[in-house]
Amino acid sequence: MSAAAVLLSDADNVATLLAPAKAGDDVVIDARTDEIRVRALEPIALGHKIALVDLAPGDRIVKYGECIGQATKAIARGAWVHVHNLRSVRAQAPAS
Amino acid sequence: MRTTFEGYRRSDGTVGVRNHTLVMSATGLTGPTAKRISSALAGSRLITTPYGSGLMGEDAELQVRALAGFACNPNVAAVLVIGGTGPHVTRIAEQVARTGRAVEALVLDDCEHDAITLTERGIRLGARLMREASRARRTTIPARELFVAMECGRSDPSSGLVANPLVGAVVDAIVDAGGRALFGETIEWLGAEHLLAARAANAAVADDIVAAVRRREQAAVAAGMDLLGNNPGPTNIAAGLSTIEEKSLGSIAKGGRSQVRGVVRIADEPPRASGLYLMDAPAYAPESVGGFVSAGAQIVLFTTGVGNSFVSGIAPTIKISGNPNACARLHEQLDFDASDVFARRTSLAVAAERLHDLVLDVASGTLTWGEILDEGEDVVSRLGPAL
Repeated sequence: MSAAAVLLSDADNVATLLAPAKAGDDVVIDARTDEIRVRALEPIALGHKIALVDLAPGDRIVKYGECIGQATKAIARGAWVHVHNLRSVRAQAPAS
Repeated sequence: MRTTFEGYRRSDGTVGVRNHTLVMSATGLTGPTAKRISSALAGSRLITTPYGSGLMGEDAELQVRALAGFACNPNVAAVLVIGGTGPHVTRIAEQVARTGRAVEALVLDDCEHDAITLTERGIRLGARLMREASRARRTTIPARELFVAMECGRSDPSSGLVANPLVGAVVDAIVDAGGRALFGETIEWLGAEHLLAARAANAAVADDIVAAVRRREQAAVAAGMDLLGNNPGPTNIAAGLSTIEEKSLGSIAKGGRSQVRGVVRIADEPPRASGLYLMDAPAYAPESVGGFVSAGAQIVLFTTGVGNSFVSGIAPTIKISGNPNACARLHEQLDFDASDVFARRTSLAVAAERLHDLVLDVASGTLTWGEILDEGEDVVSRLGPAL
Protein backbone atom coordinates (compact mmCIF):
# COMPACT_ATOMS: atom_id res chain seq x y z
CA MET A 1 0.00 0.00 0.00
CA SER A 2 1.09 3.55 -0.56
CA ALA A 3 -0.09 6.85 0.89
CA ALA A 4 0.39 10.32 -0.53
CA ALA A 5 2.22 13.23 1.05
CA VAL A 6 3.30 16.66 -0.05
CA LEU A 7 6.61 18.48 0.21
CA LEU A 8 6.13 22.24 0.44
CA SER A 9 9.68 23.36 -0.31
CA ASP A 10 12.77 21.61 -1.67
CA ALA A 11 14.58 22.55 1.55
CA ASP A 12 12.10 20.62 3.73
CA ASN A 13 13.14 17.54 5.67
CA VAL A 14 9.57 16.56 6.55
CA ALA A 15 6.50 16.00 4.33
CA THR A 16 2.80 16.34 5.21
CA LEU A 17 0.51 13.34 4.70
CA LEU A 18 -2.53 13.86 2.49
CA ALA A 19 -3.87 10.45 3.55
CA PRO A 20 -3.16 8.32 6.63
CA ALA A 21 -0.27 5.84 6.42
CA LYS A 22 0.14 2.50 8.19
CA ALA A 23 3.49 1.12 9.36
CA GLY A 24 5.24 -0.34 6.31
CA ASP A 25 3.35 1.79 3.76
CA ASP A 26 5.40 3.32 1.00
CA VAL A 27 4.54 7.00 1.17
CA VAL A 28 4.73 8.66 -2.22
CA ILE A 29 5.81 12.24 -1.78
CA ASP A 30 4.95 14.80 -4.42
CA ALA A 31 8.04 17.00 -4.48
CA ARG A 32 7.11 18.91 -7.64
CA THR A 33 10.48 18.28 -9.31
CA ASP A 34 10.48 14.54 -8.72
CA GLU A 35 8.81 11.85 -6.67
CA ILE A 36 10.27 10.54 -3.40
CA ARG A 37 9.22 7.31 -1.71
CA VAL A 38 9.67 6.83 2.02
CA ARG A 39 8.57 3.75 3.96
CA ALA A 40 6.49 4.74 7.02
CA LEU A 41 8.01 3.19 10.17
CA GLU A 42 4.81 3.67 12.17
CA PRO A 43 1.18 4.77 11.61
CA ILE A 44 0.97 8.46 10.66
CA ALA A 45 -2.36 10.34 10.51
CA LEU A 46 -3.58 12.64 7.77
CA GLY A 47 -1.99 16.09 8.10
CA HIS A 48 0.86 14.80 10.26
CA LYS A 49 4.54 14.83 9.26
CA ILE A 50 6.95 12.11 8.13
CA ALA A 51 10.75 12.45 8.27
CA LEU A 52 12.46 12.28 4.86
CA VAL A 53 15.98 11.88 6.26
CA ASP A 54 17.60 10.61 9.45
CA LEU A 55 17.72 13.45 11.99
CA ALA A 56 19.89 13.88 15.09
CA PRO A 57 18.89 15.63 18.34
CA GLY A 58 19.20 19.39 17.82
CA ASP A 59 18.70 19.22 14.05
CA ARG A 60 16.44 21.86 12.57
CA ILE A 61 13.10 20.58 11.28
CA VAL A 62 12.27 22.41 8.05
CA LYS A 63 8.76 22.82 6.55
CA TYR A 64 7.63 25.58 4.15
CA GLY A 65 11.40 26.05 3.65
CA GLU A 66 11.56 27.51 7.18
CA CYS A 67 12.64 26.21 10.58
CA ILE A 68 9.62 24.98 12.58
CA GLY A 69 11.69 23.76 15.55
CA GLN A 70 14.37 21.30 16.66
CA ALA A 71 14.54 17.53 16.94
CA THR A 72 14.62 16.55 20.63
CA LYS A 73 15.82 13.00 19.90
CA ALA A 74 17.08 10.96 16.98
CA ILE A 75 14.41 10.65 14.29
CA ALA A 76 14.78 7.98 11.60
CA ARG A 77 13.76 8.43 7.98
CA GLY A 78 10.11 7.35 7.76
CA ALA A 79 9.28 8.18 11.40
CA TRP A 80 6.38 10.33 12.56
CA VAL A 81 7.55 13.85 13.48
CA HIS A 82 5.44 15.59 16.11
CA VAL A 83 5.48 16.98 19.66
CA HIS A 84 7.17 13.83 21.04
CA ASN A 85 10.36 14.48 19.06
CA LEU A 86 10.09 18.12 17.87
CA ARG A 87 10.19 21.31 19.98
CA SER A 88 9.75 24.99 19.21
CA VAL A 89 12.97 27.00 19.54
CA ARG A 90 11.04 30.15 20.46
CA ALA A 91 9.29 31.64 23.49
CA GLN A 92 11.84 30.20 25.91
CA ALA A 93 13.60 32.00 28.75
CA PRO A 94 16.89 33.52 27.50
CA ALA A 95 19.94 31.28 28.08
CA SER A 96 22.05 34.14 29.50
CA MET B 1 -13.57 37.89 -12.20
CA ARG B 2 -16.49 40.07 -11.11
CA THR B 3 -15.66 43.65 -10.19
CA THR B 4 -18.79 44.92 -8.41
CA PHE B 5 -21.18 44.01 -5.61
CA GLU B 6 -24.47 45.40 -4.30
CA GLY B 7 -23.96 47.36 -1.09
CA TYR B 8 -25.31 50.16 1.10
CA ARG B 9 -23.59 53.51 0.54
CA ARG B 10 -23.57 55.41 3.87
CA SER B 11 -23.68 59.18 4.22
CA ASP B 12 -20.04 59.19 5.41
CA GLY B 13 -18.97 57.54 2.15
CA THR B 14 -18.35 54.07 3.59
CA VAL B 15 -20.13 51.05 2.16
CA GLY B 16 -22.01 48.42 4.14
CA VAL B 17 -22.66 44.85 3.04
CA ARG B 18 -25.41 44.56 5.68
CA ASN B 19 -27.89 47.06 7.11
CA HIS B 20 -27.85 46.31 10.83
CA THR B 21 -29.46 48.13 13.72
CA LEU B 22 -27.40 47.64 16.87
CA VAL B 23 -28.68 47.53 20.40
CA MET B 24 -25.55 48.22 22.40
CA SER B 25 -25.02 48.15 26.13
CA ALA B 26 -21.92 50.24 26.73
CA THR B 27 -21.67 49.23 30.41
CA GLY B 28 -21.91 45.96 32.29
CA LEU B 29 -24.95 47.09 34.30
CA THR B 30 -27.28 47.29 31.33
CA GLY B 31 -26.45 44.09 29.42
CA PRO B 32 -29.65 42.24 30.41
CA THR B 33 -31.76 45.28 29.47
CA ALA B 34 -30.06 45.46 26.07
CA LYS B 35 -30.79 41.76 25.61
CA ARG B 36 -34.50 42.35 26.35
CA ILE B 37 -34.67 45.30 23.96
CA SER B 38 -32.86 43.43 21.19
CA SER B 39 -35.08 40.36 21.54
CA ALA B 40 -38.12 42.63 21.04
CA LEU B 41 -36.64 44.07 17.83
CA ALA B 42 -36.51 41.26 15.26
CA GLY B 43 -33.23 41.20 13.36
CA SER B 44 -31.44 43.75 15.54
CA ARG B 45 -27.87 42.90 16.62
CA LEU B 46 -26.99 42.84 20.30
CA ILE B 47 -23.66 44.10 21.67
CA THR B 48 -22.88 43.85 25.38
CA THR B 49 -19.83 44.15 27.61
CA PRO B 50 -19.31 43.00 31.20
CA TYR B 51 -17.03 45.99 31.95
CA GLY B 52 -17.53 49.56 33.02
CA SER B 53 -16.10 52.24 35.29
CA GLY B 54 -13.37 50.01 36.77
CA LEU B 55 -11.33 50.04 33.60
CA MET B 56 -8.15 52.12 33.59
CA GLY B 57 -5.84 53.79 31.10
CA GLU B 58 -5.39 51.92 27.85
CA ASP B 59 -8.19 49.47 28.70
CA ALA B 60 -10.72 52.24 29.35
CA GLU B 61 -9.72 53.80 26.05
CA LEU B 62 -9.91 50.49 24.18
CA GLN B 63 -13.36 49.78 25.55
CA VAL B 64 -14.82 53.00 24.10
CA ARG B 65 -12.79 52.75 20.88
CA ALA B 66 -13.94 49.17 20.25
CA LEU B 67 -17.61 49.75 21.12
CA ALA B 68 -17.69 52.93 19.01
CA GLY B 69 -15.93 50.95 16.30
CA PHE B 70 -18.72 48.35 16.25
CA ALA B 71 -21.29 51.14 16.09
CA CYS B 72 -19.46 52.91 13.23
CA ASN B 73 -18.83 49.73 11.21
CA PRO B 74 -20.09 50.31 7.64
CA ASN B 75 -22.53 47.38 8.03
CA VAL B 76 -24.38 49.32 10.73
CA ALA B 77 -27.19 51.72 9.78
CA ALA B 78 -28.50 52.73 13.20
CA VAL B 79 -27.51 52.35 16.84
CA LEU B 80 -29.36 52.41 20.15
CA VAL B 81 -26.72 52.75 22.85
CA ILE B 82 -27.66 52.32 26.50
CA GLY B 83 -25.65 52.38 29.71
CA GLY B 84 -25.63 53.04 33.42
CA THR B 85 -24.49 56.61 33.38
CA GLY B 86 -23.87 59.55 31.07
CA PRO B 87 -20.30 60.26 29.90
CA HIS B 88 -19.44 56.78 28.62
CA VAL B 89 -22.63 56.45 26.58
CA THR B 90 -22.46 60.04 25.34
CA ARG B 91 -18.90 59.63 24.04
CA ILE B 92 -19.95 56.64 21.93
CA ALA B 93 -23.20 58.26 20.74
CA GLU B 94 -21.32 61.41 19.68
CA GLN B 95 -18.84 59.39 17.63
CA VAL B 96 -21.67 57.55 15.90
CA ALA B 97 -23.54 60.80 15.20
CA ARG B 98 -20.44 62.25 13.49
CA THR B 99 -20.64 59.47 10.86
CA GLY B 100 -24.20 60.51 9.98
CA ARG B 101 -25.70 57.27 11.31
CA ALA B 102 -28.96 57.39 13.22
CA VAL B 103 -28.24 57.04 16.94
CA GLU B 104 -30.22 57.23 20.18
CA ALA B 105 -28.77 57.09 23.70
CA LEU B 106 -30.49 56.13 26.96
CA VAL B 107 -29.05 55.82 30.47
CA LEU B 108 -30.39 54.30 33.70
CA ASP B 109 -29.75 57.62 35.48
CA ASP B 110 -32.50 59.17 33.33
CA CYS B 111 -34.89 56.25 33.91
CA GLU B 112 -35.02 56.56 37.70
CA HIS B 113 -32.60 53.62 37.84
CA ASP B 114 -35.36 51.32 36.62
CA ALA B 115 -34.33 48.69 34.07
CA ILE B 116 -37.99 48.15 33.07
CA THR B 117 -38.41 51.82 32.19
CA LEU B 118 -35.15 51.68 30.24
CA THR B 119 -36.41 48.56 28.43
CA GLU B 120 -39.70 50.23 27.43
CA ARG B 121 -38.08 53.41 26.18
CA GLY B 122 -35.39 51.42 24.42
CA ILE B 123 -37.87 49.26 22.53
CA ARG B 124 -39.79 52.33 21.30
CA LEU B 125 -36.67 54.24 20.22
CA GLY B 126 -35.06 51.14 18.73
CA ALA B 127 -38.18 50.29 16.73
CA ARG B 128 -38.16 53.75 15.15
CA LEU B 129 -34.46 53.45 14.34
CA MET B 130 -35.01 50.09 12.66
CA ARG B 131 -37.89 51.31 10.55
CA GLU B 132 -35.85 54.28 9.34
CA ALA B 133 -32.80 52.05 8.66
CA SER B 134 -34.91 49.75 6.51
CA ARG B 135 -35.37 52.55 3.95
CA ALA B 136 -31.74 52.08 2.79
CA ARG B 137 -31.32 50.33 -0.59
CA ARG B 138 -28.40 48.47 -2.13
CA THR B 139 -26.66 50.01 -5.13
CA THR B 140 -23.86 48.75 -7.36
CA ILE B 141 -20.48 49.31 -5.72
CA PRO B 142 -16.97 48.72 -7.15
CA ALA B 143 -15.06 45.85 -5.50
CA ARG B 144 -12.32 48.30 -4.47
CA GLU B 145 -14.67 49.39 -1.64
CA LEU B 146 -14.23 46.00 0.05
CA PHE B 147 -12.44 45.83 3.38
CA VAL B 148 -12.00 42.21 4.47
CA ALA B 149 -10.35 40.71 7.55
CA MET B 150 -8.79 37.26 7.79
CA GLU B 151 -8.89 34.94 10.77
CA CYS B 152 -8.13 31.29 11.42
CA GLY B 153 -9.52 29.11 14.17
CA ARG B 154 -9.07 25.45 15.05
CA SER B 155 -6.40 25.22 12.39
CA ASP B 156 -4.82 22.01 11.26
CA PRO B 157 -2.14 21.21 8.70
CA SER B 158 -4.74 21.55 5.91
CA SER B 159 -5.13 25.24 6.85
CA GLY B 160 -1.56 26.05 5.88
CA LEU B 161 -1.72 23.83 2.80
CA VAL B 162 -5.09 24.87 1.38
CA ALA B 163 -7.51 27.24 3.14
CA ASN B 164 -5.00 29.95 4.13
CA PRO B 165 -3.18 30.16 0.76
CA LEU B 166 -6.61 30.14 -0.91
CA VAL B 167 -7.76 33.10 1.18
CA GLY B 168 -4.37 34.71 0.50
CA ALA B 169 -5.01 34.50 -3.25
CA VAL B 170 -8.44 36.16 -2.82
CA VAL B 171 -6.93 38.83 -0.58
CA ASP B 172 -4.27 39.57 -3.21
CA ALA B 173 -7.06 40.03 -5.80
CA ILE B 174 -9.03 42.34 -3.47
CA VAL B 175 -5.93 44.41 -2.68
CA ASP B 176 -4.89 44.54 -6.36
CA ALA B 177 -8.38 45.86 -7.18
CA GLY B 178 -7.86 48.70 -4.67
CA GLY B 179 -9.51 47.18 -1.60
CA ARG B 180 -8.22 46.73 1.92
CA ALA B 181 -7.40 43.64 3.96
CA LEU B 182 -6.40 43.12 7.59
CA PHE B 183 -5.19 40.23 9.70
CA GLY B 184 -3.90 39.96 13.26
CA GLU B 185 -3.22 37.12 15.73
CA THR B 186 0.27 38.49 16.51
CA ILE B 187 1.46 35.34 18.28
CA GLU B 188 0.86 33.51 15.00
CA TRP B 189 3.47 35.64 13.25
CA LEU B 190 6.09 34.12 15.61
CA GLY B 191 8.58 32.15 13.54
CA ALA B 192 7.33 33.81 10.36
CA GLU B 193 7.83 37.45 11.32
CA HIS B 194 10.95 37.73 9.12
CA LEU B 195 8.80 36.85 6.09
CA LEU B 196 6.21 39.51 6.97
CA ALA B 197 8.91 42.09 7.76
CA ALA B 198 10.51 41.44 4.36
CA ARG B 199 7.17 42.46 2.77
CA ALA B 200 6.83 45.64 4.85
CA ALA B 201 6.31 48.92 2.98
CA ASN B 202 9.24 50.49 4.86
CA ALA B 203 11.70 49.89 7.69
CA ALA B 204 9.39 51.39 10.33
CA VAL B 205 6.61 48.91 9.45
CA ALA B 206 9.14 46.04 9.49
CA ASP B 207 10.29 47.14 12.95
CA ASP B 208 6.68 47.32 14.17
CA ILE B 209 6.05 43.73 13.03
CA VAL B 210 9.14 42.32 14.75
CA ALA B 211 8.56 44.37 17.92
CA ALA B 212 4.91 43.27 18.17
CA VAL B 213 5.91 39.59 18.03
CA ARG B 214 8.72 40.10 20.55
CA ARG B 215 6.32 41.77 23.04
CA ARG B 216 3.95 38.77 22.96
CA GLU B 217 6.80 36.26 23.05
CA GLN B 218 8.32 38.03 26.08
CA ALA B 219 4.92 38.18 27.78
CA ALA B 220 4.62 34.40 27.43
CA VAL B 221 8.16 33.91 28.80
CA ALA B 222 7.51 36.35 31.69
CA ALA B 223 4.33 34.45 32.57
CA GLY B 224 6.36 31.22 32.62
CA MET B 225 4.05 29.90 29.96
CA ASP B 226 4.88 27.16 27.46
CA LEU B 227 3.25 28.00 24.14
CA LEU B 228 2.94 24.27 23.42
CA GLY B 229 -0.56 23.31 24.53
CA ASN B 230 -1.73 26.92 24.35
CA ASN B 231 -0.79 27.89 20.82
CA PRO B 232 -0.72 25.43 19.16
CA GLY B 233 -3.61 24.31 21.37
CA PRO B 234 -4.79 20.75 22.04
CA THR B 235 -7.03 20.65 18.94
CA ASN B 236 -4.22 21.94 16.70
CA ILE B 237 -1.79 19.39 18.14
CA ALA B 238 -4.17 16.46 17.73
CA ALA B 239 -4.56 17.46 14.08
CA GLY B 240 -0.79 17.48 13.49
CA LEU B 241 0.56 20.97 14.19
CA SER B 242 3.66 20.60 16.38
CA THR B 243 5.01 24.08 17.09
CA ILE B 244 4.00 27.75 16.99
CA GLU B 245 6.50 28.27 14.13
CA GLU B 246 4.75 25.62 12.04
CA LYS B 247 1.34 27.09 12.81
CA SER B 248 2.51 30.65 12.04
CA LEU B 249 4.05 29.72 8.68
CA GLY B 250 0.67 28.31 7.65
CA SER B 251 -1.27 31.12 9.30
CA ILE B 252 0.39 34.05 7.53
CA ALA B 253 -0.48 32.51 4.15
CA LYS B 254 -3.97 33.99 4.57
CA GLY B 255 -2.37 37.42 4.09
CA GLY B 256 -1.37 36.52 0.53
CA ARG B 257 1.74 38.07 -0.96
CA SER B 258 0.91 41.77 -0.94
CA GLN B 259 3.07 44.44 0.62
CA VAL B 260 2.31 45.07 4.32
CA ARG B 261 1.34 48.74 4.51
CA GLY B 262 1.22 49.14 8.27
CA VAL B 263 0.54 47.71 11.73
CA VAL B 264 -2.46 49.06 13.67
CA ARG B 265 -3.52 48.68 17.30
CA ILE B 266 -6.47 46.49 18.19
CA ALA B 267 -9.80 48.06 17.12
CA ASP B 268 -8.05 50.85 15.18
CA GLU B 269 -9.11 51.43 11.60
CA PRO B 270 -6.21 51.17 9.14
CA PRO B 271 -5.70 54.08 6.73
CA ARG B 272 -8.35 54.37 4.01
CA ALA B 273 -5.64 53.81 1.34
CA SER B 274 -5.85 50.39 -0.31
CA GLY B 275 -3.55 47.60 0.80
CA LEU B 276 -2.82 44.88 3.33
CA TYR B 277 -2.52 45.84 7.03
CA LEU B 278 -1.73 43.94 10.22
CA MET B 279 -3.40 44.31 13.62
CA ASP B 280 -1.32 43.71 16.74
CA ALA B 281 -3.90 41.76 18.74
CA PRO B 282 -4.69 38.52 20.58
CA ALA B 283 -5.20 35.38 18.50
CA TYR B 284 -8.29 33.99 20.24
CA ALA B 285 -11.08 34.28 17.66
CA PRO B 286 -13.71 36.32 19.57
CA GLU B 287 -11.15 38.97 20.64
CA SER B 288 -9.37 38.96 17.30
CA VAL B 289 -12.48 39.14 15.10
CA GLY B 290 -13.95 41.76 17.46
CA GLY B 291 -10.85 43.88 16.82
CA PHE B 292 -11.28 43.60 13.04
CA VAL B 293 -14.98 44.47 13.13
CA SER B 294 -14.31 47.48 15.38
CA ALA B 295 -11.71 48.53 12.80
CA GLY B 296 -14.44 48.59 10.14
CA ALA B 297 -14.02 45.28 8.30
CA GLN B 298 -17.18 44.46 6.33
CA ILE B 299 -16.51 40.74 5.85
CA VAL B 300 -14.38 38.18 7.70
CA LEU B 301 -12.71 35.33 5.79
CA PHE B 302 -12.35 32.68 8.48
CA THR B 303 -10.35 29.55 7.73
CA THR B 304 -10.52 26.44 9.85
CA GLY B 305 -9.09 22.96 9.79
CA VAL B 306 -11.38 20.79 11.90
CA GLY B 307 -14.22 23.34 12.20
CA ASN B 308 -15.01 26.47 14.20
CA SER B 309 -18.49 27.93 14.61
CA PHE B 310 -17.59 31.42 15.90
CA VAL B 311 -18.67 34.32 13.69
CA SER B 312 -19.14 38.08 14.00
CA GLY B 313 -22.71 39.31 14.33
CA ILE B 314 -21.90 42.49 12.40
CA ALA B 315 -19.55 41.34 9.64
CA PRO B 316 -20.69 38.26 7.68
CA THR B 317 -18.06 35.60 8.36
CA ILE B 318 -17.26 33.17 5.56
CA LYS B 319 -16.01 29.80 6.84
CA ILE B 320 -13.49 28.01 4.66
CA SER B 321 -11.86 24.61 5.16
CA GLY B 322 -9.71 22.28 3.09
CA ASN B 323 -9.91 19.37 5.54
CA PRO B 324 -11.85 16.59 3.76
CA ASN B 325 -13.21 15.16 7.04
CA ALA B 326 -14.44 18.56 8.27
CA CYS B 327 -16.00 19.36 4.88
CA ALA B 328 -17.87 16.04 4.95
CA ARG B 329 -19.19 16.73 8.47
CA LEU B 330 -19.91 20.45 8.65
CA HIS B 331 -22.29 21.23 5.79
CA GLU B 332 -24.14 23.92 7.75
CA GLN B 333 -21.00 25.55 9.13
CA LEU B 334 -18.54 25.74 6.25
CA ASP B 335 -19.52 28.24 3.55
CA PHE B 336 -16.71 27.14 1.25
CA ASP B 337 -15.52 23.57 0.79
CA ALA B 338 -11.91 23.52 -0.43
CA SER B 339 -11.36 19.78 0.11
CA ASP B 340 -11.06 19.31 -3.67
CA VAL B 341 -7.92 21.45 -3.50
CA PHE B 342 -6.57 19.29 -0.66
CA ALA B 343 -7.26 16.18 -2.77
CA ARG B 344 -5.45 17.92 -5.67
CA ARG B 345 -8.46 17.62 -7.96
CA THR B 346 -8.81 21.41 -8.28
CA SER B 347 -6.06 23.99 -8.56
CA LEU B 348 -5.75 26.72 -5.96
CA ALA B 349 -6.22 29.36 -8.69
CA VAL B 350 -9.57 27.92 -9.82
CA ALA B 351 -10.82 27.60 -6.25
CA ALA B 352 -9.67 31.18 -5.52
CA GLU B 353 -11.91 32.49 -8.31
CA ARG B 354 -14.86 30.58 -6.85
CA LEU B 355 -14.14 31.97 -3.38
CA HIS B 356 -13.75 35.50 -4.75
CA ASP B 357 -17.21 35.18 -6.33
CA LEU B 358 -18.63 33.95 -3.02
CA VAL B 359 -17.15 36.98 -1.23
CA LEU B 360 -18.93 39.30 -3.70
CA ASP B 361 -22.16 37.28 -3.35
CA VAL B 362 -22.04 37.53 0.43
CA ALA B 363 -21.20 41.23 0.13
CA SER B 364 -24.36 41.56 -1.99
CA GLY B 365 -26.61 39.85 0.56
CA THR B 366 -26.19 36.07 0.29
CA LEU B 367 -26.35 34.77 3.86
CA THR B 368 -23.55 32.82 5.53
CA TRP B 369 -24.35 29.75 7.66
CA GLY B 370 -23.26 31.71 10.72
CA GLU B 371 -25.86 34.41 9.97
CA ILE B 372 -28.63 31.89 9.32
CA LEU B 373 -27.86 30.02 12.54
CA ASP B 374 -27.33 33.27 14.49
CA GLU B 375 -23.89 32.28 15.82
CA GLY B 376 -22.71 35.89 15.77
CA GLU B 377 -21.13 37.66 18.71
CA ASP B 378 -18.94 40.75 18.94
CA VAL B 379 -16.80 41.31 22.01
CA VAL B 380 -14.11 43.69 23.21
CA SER B 381 -10.67 42.41 24.26
CA ARG B 382 -8.96 43.39 27.54
CA LEU B 383 -5.38 44.53 28.08
CA GLY B 384 -4.67 44.71 31.79
CA PRO B 385 -5.98 44.86 35.38
CA ALA B 386 -9.06 46.83 36.42
CA LEU B 387 -9.89 48.80 39.56
